[in-house]
Amino acid sequence: MDMKAHAPFLEVEGLAKRFAAKAGRGESLSVIEDLSLSVSEGEFVTVVGPSGSGKSTLLNMLAQIDRPSAGSVRLRGETILGPQSGPLVPGWNCQIGYVTQEDNLLPWRRLEENILFPLRAQGRLDEAARERVAALVELAGLKGFERFYPSELSGGMRKRASLVRTLSYDPPVILMDEPFGALDAQTRMQLHADLLRMWNVKRKTIVFVTHDIAEAIALGDRVLVLSRAPAKVIAEHRVDIPRPREIDHLVLAPGFAALFDRIRQALI
Amino acid sequence: MRTFDRIAVLVALLAAWHAASLYFGAQWITTPWVTAQAFWRALMRGDLWHHGSYTLSAAVLGFLIGGIPGAGLPFVLRRMHTLRAVLDPYLVAGYGAPKVALTPLFIIWFGIGLASKVALVASVVFFLVFFVTSAGLASVDQKLIAAARVFGADARLIAREIVWPSAAPYVFTGLRIAAPYAIGTAVVGELISSNRGLGYSIQAAATDFDPAGIFVGVVALALVVTGLNAALGLLEARLLSWRPDDKTVERAQAAF
Repeated sequence: MDMKAHAPFLEVEGLAKRFAAKAGRGESLSVIEDLSLSVSEGEFVTVVGPSGSGKSTLLNMLAQIDRPSAGSVRLRGETILGPQSGPLVPGWNCQIGYVTQEDNLLPWRRLEENILFPLRAQGRLDEAARERVAALVELAGLKGFERFYPSELSGGMRKRASLVRTLSYDPPVILMDEPFGALDAQTRMQLHADLLRMWNVKRKTIVFVTHDIAEAIALGDRVLVLSRAPAKVIAEHRVDIPRPREIDHLVLAPGFAALFDRIRQALI
Repeated sequence: MRTFDRIAVLVALLAAWHAASLYFGAQWITTPWVTAQAFWRALMRGDLWHHGSYTLSAAVLGFLIGGIPGAGLPFVLRRMHTLRAVLDPYLVAGYGAPKVALTPLFIIWFGIGLASKVALVASVVFFLVFFVTSAGLASVDQKLIAAARVFGADARLIAREIVWPSAAPYVFTGLRIAAPYAIGTAVVGELISSNRGLGYSIQAAATDFDPAGIFVGVVALALVVTGLNAALGLLEARLLSWRPDDKTVERAQAAF
C-alpha cells in the first residue's frame, strides 16, 4: 500500500473558536466547535457550509492569522498550531498559501509587481522564477496586462492575478476562501476552468471554502459539509466525476444532480 | 469649459465686490480697480516682495519644522501602542489649545523677529499634520497586511510597501490642509507684533486708515495660498500617480 498517498498531509483535530462575550452580556460566542478534518497530499477538498458558519474563521486559523481556542493543526505530521503554541506564524513559512475573498492586491502596484510581491518578499526572485511566473500569467490569460494597475482591471482579472500571486511561490498547501464569490456566473465558470487547468499542471493540496454547492462539486475531489455555527463537519462526499472535468457541462455529468441534492439536504 | 466657468465666477465675484463698494462707499470697501492699481504700485515699489517674502519665509520654515515631525512621528509611534496611549491626551490638548494665545510667549522667547512667527506656525502645523497622518495610519487595510504576512513579508517590507503607500495620501492631505494655516498663522503673528511681513503691512494700512492697503495685503495672501496649494497638488499628483483618476477609469471601461 502506498503510504504517502494515504497519510494525512494536513490534519485538523478538535478545532474550536470561541469569542469572549462582553462583560455581563451572556455566554461566549462559539463559532467553531470540535471540528476535525484531514486532507491528503495533492487533494482538492471543498468545504461547503451556510453563510455565517465560520468558514472564513476556519481558514484564518489554518493560515495562522487567527488563533484557535482549542484543537490543533498538523502539517506532514508536525503540529504547527495549537492553542498553547508560540506566536502565530502566518502562512507557516510560506508553506500555506491563502487566496482570500477580496483580491488584496496592492492598489499602488502594477499587476506584475503585485504578482511578484511574494517572491520578492521571500528573496526568491530570480530569472527562473520570473520565467515561471510569466508562464503562469499567460496560463491565466493576464498576458498584456502586466503594466496595469488593479483599478484598471476587471474583477475577474484581479481574481486571476490574486490566484497567480499565490501559485507563483508554490506553497504546498493553498487555502481558498470563496475566491470567486463576488463575480458574475459567466466569469466564475471561466475561472473554475482556469483554476482546474492551473491545478492540473501541479497538483497542490487545496482547501477551498464556498457556500455554493455546485462550485464545491465542480472543483473538489471531496466535499465536506459544515453545520451551522458552532460549525463542525457533518457530512463528507467523494466526487466521482472524472478529471479533467468539463466545467461547462458538469451539471449533466452522471451523479451530479444526486450529489447536489444530498448535500443540499445535509445543509438544511 | 472649466476655465470658462472659473472666469465667469471671477467676474461675478468682482462684480459683487464692486457693487458692495458702491453701496457701502469706497472709503470702507475699496473698489476692485483701485485695489488692482494699488497692488500694481506696491508690486513695482517692491513692497509686496519685501513683506511677502518675509511672511512666506516664516510660513515655509514653520511648515517644515512643524510638518516633518508631524508627518514622521505617527510612523514612529505606530507600533508603540502604550507610549501612544500615554501621550494621546497631551497631543489632543496640544491640538485643541489655541496656539495664537501662545504668541506672547513666543515673543518673550524668540523676540519680535522671524523666529517667533516660525515657532507659532510650526506649533499649528505640527498638530494638524500629526492628527491627519495618524488617521491615515489607522485606516491602513489590515487585510493587505495579513495577506503580505502570509506571503512571508517582514515588518520592514510591510512598512515600506503597504503602510507608507496607504498613509501617503493622508500625509499629503494633512500638508495641504496645513499650508493655508501656515500662511494665516504667520500673518496673525505679524499682526500682533512685527516690523515686516504682509500681516504687518495690513496692520500699518489699518493704522493709516488705508483700506486699499488692507485689500492689497489680503489679495496678495490669497494669491500666495493658491500658489502654494497648486504646488503641493502637483507634487502629490506626481508621487501618487497610481491613484485612479477619471481618465484611467474611462480607459478601463473602454478596454472591457
